[in-house]
Amino acid sequence: MNAICPLPGSFRDPAGRVYDVDGQIFRTIEASFSPEFEFVKSTELLQKLIVDHRLLPFERVEANDVPRFSRETNYVLRVPRLRFVSYPYEWSFSALKTAALLHLEIQLTALEFGVTLTDASAFNIQFHGARPVFIDHLSFRRYRPGEIWTGHRQFCEQFLNPLLLRSFFGVPYNAWYRGTQEGIQARDLSRILKWRHYLCWNVATHVVLQSFFQRSVQNHNLELAKESLPTNALAPGAFRRILKKLHSWISKLMPADTEKTVWQEYTKSHSYSSEEIEHKQRFVSEFVRRERPKLIWDLGCNTGDYCAAALQAGAEYAVGFDNDHGSLELAFARSREQNLAFQALFFDAANPSPNQGWREQERYGLQVRASADAILALAFVHHLAISRNIPLEQLLGWIIGMAPRGVIEFVPKNDPMAKTLLRHREDIFLDYTRESFLSYLEPVAKITGTEIVSSTGRFLVAYERRSKS
Amino acid sequence: MRSNFFFIVLAFLSLYMLVFVDHAFAYLDPGSGSMLLQLVFGGIAGLGVILKLYWKGFVGLFRHKQHQENDLTPKERDK
Repeated sequence: MNAICPLPGSFRDPAGRVYDVDGQIFRTIEASFSPEFEFVKSTELLQKLIVDHRLLPFERVEANDVPRFSRETNYVLRVPRLRFVSYPYEWSFSALKTAALLHLEIQLTALEFGVTLTDASAFNIQFHGARPVFIDHLSFRRYRPGEIWTGHRQFCEQFLNPLLLRSFFGVPYNAWYRGTQEGIQARDLSRILKWRHYLCWNVATHVVLQSFFQRSVQNHNLELAKESLPTNALAPGAFRRILKKLHSWISKLMPADTEKTVWQEYTKSHSYSSEEIEHKQRFVSEFVRRERPKLIWDLGCNTGDYCAAALQAGAEYAVGFDNDHGSLELAFARSREQNLAFQALFFDAANPSPNQGWREQERYGLQVRASADAILALAFVHHLAISRNIPLEQLLGWIIGMAPRGVIEFVPKNDPMAKTLLRHREDIFLDYTRESFLSYLEPVAKITGTEIVSSTGRFLVAYERRSKS
Repeated sequence: MRSNFFFIVLAFLSLYMLVFVDHAFAYLDPGSGSMLLQLVFGGIAGLGVILKLYWKGFVGLFRHKQHQENDLTPKERDK
């Protein structure tokens, strides 16, 4: 029998590896790290975090009951499979902020138990709805009073600096973050800061001074200790103060490009309900009741109206995608306030997240993560076909390739929204018609329901993907 | 000159770190900028270390300058 290899993205920390065996997720612990893990386990910290829903639960599996892994291990944990794995560069501002606060809270709690975190990777946090959960059980180790916060630089790069970029300048960090995979360096952020930002003590220290020290060391080729620091470098009280101050500061950060009115709109968006929206929600609800999907995706989810309708109709989990940052904030707020199993992510359909990182296998692209039982693409197709010139046939093939069932809306050219998209440009979209739409669907999907939802002729189509013969 | 000053400060700091090390289980490079910043945050002990280093750097720089001046010929010193 061939040994099973770890997931390609699980290589950074030599303390252990992650394996996916027939849908079951195992985390192994190398012999060298076992004493550290056993110490952490003995402190009851992990149990407390699990009870508080801040850490993914785990169970120890006996070596005889697990498959043969490619690396020697003497400790195996089985952890629940996540509904959907997302990455920090796909998160909204509020999601990244919530994840940052969770990281600080866990670090603070860990110190009470004589434990610290080995790193501060944002990739160690995943979401269930709007609730963040820490997933890396090997990030914990014994705390040595006086040692520095090893993950401080990484925390700044992967949480703090992206949040500051959006908070100070209104510039979304997503594209930058996706490009670097490691977040934003203090050096880069400090170059674009204005003098007024220096007046803030937290900026002056965590960004400007850190960047200055880093540059000084590099410019003079100084070699500092790589793995450790003086035993009394950072007193426990000072460590806790840093964490608490960062927590207090980050919890007050807001995106500079989000007007207050947008937040106020949240209430309005709930009371507002047009006939057309209700019509579409009814169609989606009936579709969900009929098809009973567990995981549903909504492309162009906006603030999550249809995800909420799908969940109410019986879907277990909804993942929404949108490229509008304001909508994503509202979707996150809705999910958090109503405690929905709904997660909204930043996404540009014409340029979705690719496979990337080391050997292009460390982080998975959207296509690899496409595991939805059903998909919604409402008021979505015309944006891609007209604004982004995506050929209609390719677009429909792509959507249907993502999930075996779904609902797609067609917005005709005489609709005010389609007219708006065409007002400054020549209409080169000769095949953007109802007839072509249906003819492109025909070979790849069976239409199981259709309904006109507006006086302009917008219509919904429920489909079932044809099996490839 | 300012550059030399910081070089001296950081050289002492690095020496200090290399001498008083405690090998912790860590796979992540904390980054020199973050390490030095945390010494600044390190309360009285940390500040004491920083001040001592800066003072040593200042004295070292002064001695270095005096040494350079002594090495000059009388003609060069008149310039």
